[in-house]
Amino acid sequence: MPSLSILRKSLLASVFVGAASLSAAAIAQELTVMQSEAPRSMDPGDQSATFTNALLAPVYEGLVLRAPDLSLVPGLATEWEPNADGIEWTFTLRDGVVFHDGTPFDADAVVYNFERHLDTDRGLAASGRLRTFLEGVEKVDDYTVKFTLQGPYPAFLNILTTNAGQIVSPTADAEGNLGAASVGTGPFQMAEYRSGEFVLQEKFADYWGDNSQSVEAIRWTWSSEPSVLSMALQTGDADVINPVPPAFAQVIDANPELELHVSDGSAVFWVALNTEAEALSDVRVRQALNFATDRDGIVNAIMSGYATPANSPLATVSEGYNPDLDPYPLDLDRARELLEEAGYGDGFSMSVVVQEHESRIGEVLQAMWAEIGVELDVRRMESGVWSAAAFGNVEQKAQEGVDSVIASWSSGVNGPDLQFRPLYHSSSFAPGSANLGFYHSEEFDSLLDEAAATVDVDARNAIYGQLQEIVNEDAPHVLLYVSRDLYATREGVENVWMIPGGLVRVDTATKR
Amino acid sequence: MQGYILRKLISLPLILIGVSLLVFISIRMLPGEPARVMAGPEATQEAVDAMTVRLGLHRSIPEQYATFAISALQGDFGESIRSRLPVWDEIAQRLPYTLALAVTSYILAIAVGVPAGMLAAIYRNRPPDYIVMVFAIAGASIANFWMALLAMNYFSVHLGWLPLLGANSWQSYILPSVTLAVLPMAVIARMTRSSMIEVLSQDYIRTARAKGLPVSKVYWSHALRNALIPIVTIVGLNFGGLIGGAVVTETVFNWPGIGRLMVDAVRYRDYPVIQGVTMVAVFGVVVINFAAEMIIAALNPRIRFD
Amino acid sequence: MSASPNIVAPARNRIRLRRSWAWCQQNANIVIGGFLIGLIVLAAILAPWIAGADPYAQNLANTLQPPSWEHPFGTDDNGRDIFARVIYGAQISLLEVFLSVGIATAVGVPLGIIAGMTGRMVDHVIMWIMDVLFAFPGIVLAILIVSILGPSLFNLMIAIALFAIPVYARLSRNITLGLKSMEFIEAAIALGVPQWRILVHYILRNSVGPIIVQSTLTAGTVILTAASLSFLGLGAQPPIPEWGAMMSQGRNYLGVNIWMSLFPGLAIMITVLGFNILGDGLRDLLDPRK
Repeated sequence: MPSLSILRKSLLASVFVGAASLSAAAIAQELTVMQSEAPRSMDPGDQSATFTNALLAPVYEGLVLRAPDLSLVPGLATEWEPNADGIEWTFTLRDGVVFHDGTPFDADAVVYNFERHLDTDRGLAASGRLRTFLEGVEKVDDYTVKFTLQGPYPAFLNILTTNAGQIVSPTADAEGNLGAASVGTGPFQMAEYRSGEFVLQEKFADYWGDNSQSVEAIRWTWSSEPSVLSMALQTGDADVINPVPPAFAQVIDANPELELHVSDGSAVFWVALNTEAEALSDVRVRQALNFATDRDGIVNAIMSGYATPANSPLATVSEGYNPDLDPYPLDLDRARELLEEAGYGDGFSMSVVVQEHESRIGEVLQAMWAEIGVELDVRRMESGVWSAAAFGNVEQKAQEGVDSVIASWSSGVNGPDLQFRPLYHSSSFAPGSANLGFYHSEEFDSLLDEAAATVDVDARNAIYGQLQEIVNEDAPHVLLYVSRDLYATREGVENVWMIPGGLVRVDTATKR
Repeated sequence: MQGYILRKLISLPLILIGVSLLVFISIRMLPGEPARVMAGPEATQEAVDAMTVRLGLHRSIPEQYATFAISALQGDFGESIRSRLPVWDEIAQRLPYTLALAVTSYILAIAVGVPAGMLAAIYRNRPPDYIVMVFAIAGASIANFWMALLAMNYFSVHLGWLPLLGANSWQSYILPSVTLAVLPMAVIARMTRSSMIEVLSQDYIRTARAKGLPVSKVYWSHALRNALIPIVTIVGLNFGGLIGGAVVTETVFNWPGIGRLMVDAVRYRDYPVIQGVTMVAVFGVVVINFAAEMIIAALNPRIRFD
Repeated sequence: MSASPNIVAPARNRIRLRRSWAWCQQNANIVIGGFLIGLIVLAAILAPWIAGADPYAQNLANTLQPPSWEHPFGTDDNGRDIFARVIYGAQISLLEVFLSVGIATAVGVPLGIIAGMTGRMVDHVIMWIMDVLFAFPGIVLAILIVSILGPSLFNLMIAIALFAIPVYARLSRNITLGLKSMEFIEAAIALGVPQWRILVHYILRNSVGPIIVQSTLTAGTVILTAASLSFLGLGAQPPIPEWGAMMSQGRNYLGVNIWMSLFPGLAIMITVLGFNILGDGLRDLLDPRK
């Protein structure tokens, strides 16, 4: 079996590394990570799923990297400099970096990478993020590139750390096999991909940085069964599980052999209300639903307490987040009053479309909103069917009677624009983007565009503060909660860390 | 008989054509385009459209079917949208695991089901009969995913006797194949019991016993041989059901077989994989049904098929 | 009864009683199966009186409780009373069985009879479609159908019925073919009796027994298939207290809380067991060879 020979190889490799560097770890160590979802592609630019990003993180790097303290640090670029208006950015590239397939990393590779995203014919899944602000990339010399933006864009550097900005081997991409076999510059390289079983990554010997301290190999597996994730950690079939199903968090926490890690997450869960639907077009009705929602109850029932009730459209870890807002405390009387004013004193009925794993939110809301006479028809759907219904345009939703959608959005720590723009800007109506309820406010749009062009952090955050209040007031969503990121490790596994939003990082992990 | 075989051989391609049409059209009626599902919620419409063109899904359904049929005839089912591997490679990687599981569970089902059924028949309407039958029917009345999860929790997590997941050693076959075997085991036990009872009441068996043939020999060689016919039928006809059971069992046990491949393919709208797996599964079912009929004919020349 | 002044009646009653006891002994399967199914039917009918709680009432402050006096089966993850949900679930499960088996027989039996009566091309085409349906992995077919039609209890039943149709079509076709070759039918055809009368009189009447037996045996499969589909996320819509859906939701807590999946699981088991035993009994009773 091929996996055996790889194991043997990595065993040998580790013996040599151990002897040379006198590292403490002299035996082959393999870290097994189990996540809840299979990888969608081995090409970081052709998917946008958090768990796939976590799996690819040891293999690929961006020009800028995210450090465990969440600050931005040099990656494949050693330094960068914007011009005065923030439109042209010059990056000095790191010398002496090679891709796993031996291709040298240089300005040509960087230009190739961004051009494949700007090429509309390629149709890569992650290109959208770059195309909204990036004008072009050019080579200045072998180790200098210049990015030209369409306008100032505060999230630019953040996006370079994400999958859209990760640099793939141009040779491998041109061969067309990147979707099945990843080739990057990271501390680990892909050794084997069995689409039904695992992805195996082993240490890359020619890595530009120091990767001597971490485990020798990482094996990624997956299961969609929450109890299987928990069992796998208990039996040692997995050293790390991500995420931890909230129902099992306490059991894992109580087990001395296991360690539960909880940190603030960035996924905001909400119900997008179709503002084109009859009753929901009235802002008072939308506010009434917000007043009738017991967020603490939801946090406890759905997340076993591992979430923060949402008081703003931004996640608690987001730049510019305002913790002092409290727009909608549970107030059934106020909710009934608002419905009465809007002419729905006798209540009304509406539908919500929801995916399997979030259907309980729908059930809970169904009971809560029944208190104010709102009859919620929960339509649980298979994920593909759901995405077709959730991303329907105004006419489709009217025809299918889709009044609201339960979903979540996570922009990580990449700046509020990536949360506000796709969800609430009037240019983001479904199906093109994720403004699923067709919310439109000129005031909101112009303020958001102003924020995007504001380079000064404090001034920008002041605008984001205003935007949070506008969204709360107009209530295009019933904001529910911000989930906390839960992952768990077995005793002896160290140096695993989390980028808010569920992206577990194991490339620095050690295992005793 | 020859005419029958010939007719069967003609019907195989007809069934495959019917199935391919059914699967081809029905997956394209599924809401949720592959490009949208694959690209994820962050993708712009432009990216989704470009991806649709890249996957060749912008063409008309007859056009797509023609392309599919021509390459399928040459043994090429295309490339998986998700893994970018040829569908054949995916199936070839997974099929052995599913077959291994199917065979082990059938062996188990027969090895337990047949003697249990015989025991019940010999002790008809006495305690051994009741015990066997209650266990057989009760086992077949539990939802298999639940039984699997409970067994994992107990035998793997609490006792630590058996591997939890995967297909890495012979021990890892135990839990999934037992889970999968319970239903056919019950069916086989019941079939064996009723056909044994019938055979035992036949005149020639009574004669054999009256003639003083050893009882055990009567049971084993005469009675069982005739009782085998319905068992083979059931095994043959239930093969499709076993593949259905594999979908659930493989999902729970992280078994790298075609059942799990199918579930993932439906989730990601991986059209080529859905098509390929369905065709292979149907081919298997039809061939095995046919083989079962041939074995029955060999066991009992008096049986005629129409 | 012994205090009764009438002496003749008890004697007669006793004979009757003894006779029915003998019948019961001979047909133990029917009695046991019938008893189990009777329990489920009773639960379904009497649900509003015996449930003791609202199966839909949530209490988020009281979730995942083990069994207690107040909640005999405990509470689920939304704080609903599991006992009430299991009791009301009997209605849903029986509905499932009747709908699925009903659709499958209503479509399959006429198709099989038509195929058997007309023969030739029509027979070939019908049986070809049936072979395609039969060869198609059932669960995959169900996944496709439920996804296309949208998830609802009714669509779920259509999907399950669809892959039971070939069984009924084959069964009724075989019965039809068997009867067609019988002399009295041949004679009737020769005498010019209209075909539809033959159909109604002999064939339908003769197929009732086998079809009832087959229906009872399919009934258990229907419930288990519904549970499997729930497992795959294609089951009944929330908050319907469907056993398969409850069990499937409860499995997400196995290892922390077993009650949520145990009781609906037991209910499924009793029902499937009941239908299977009843089916076995009916088959023995209606077996023409006896």
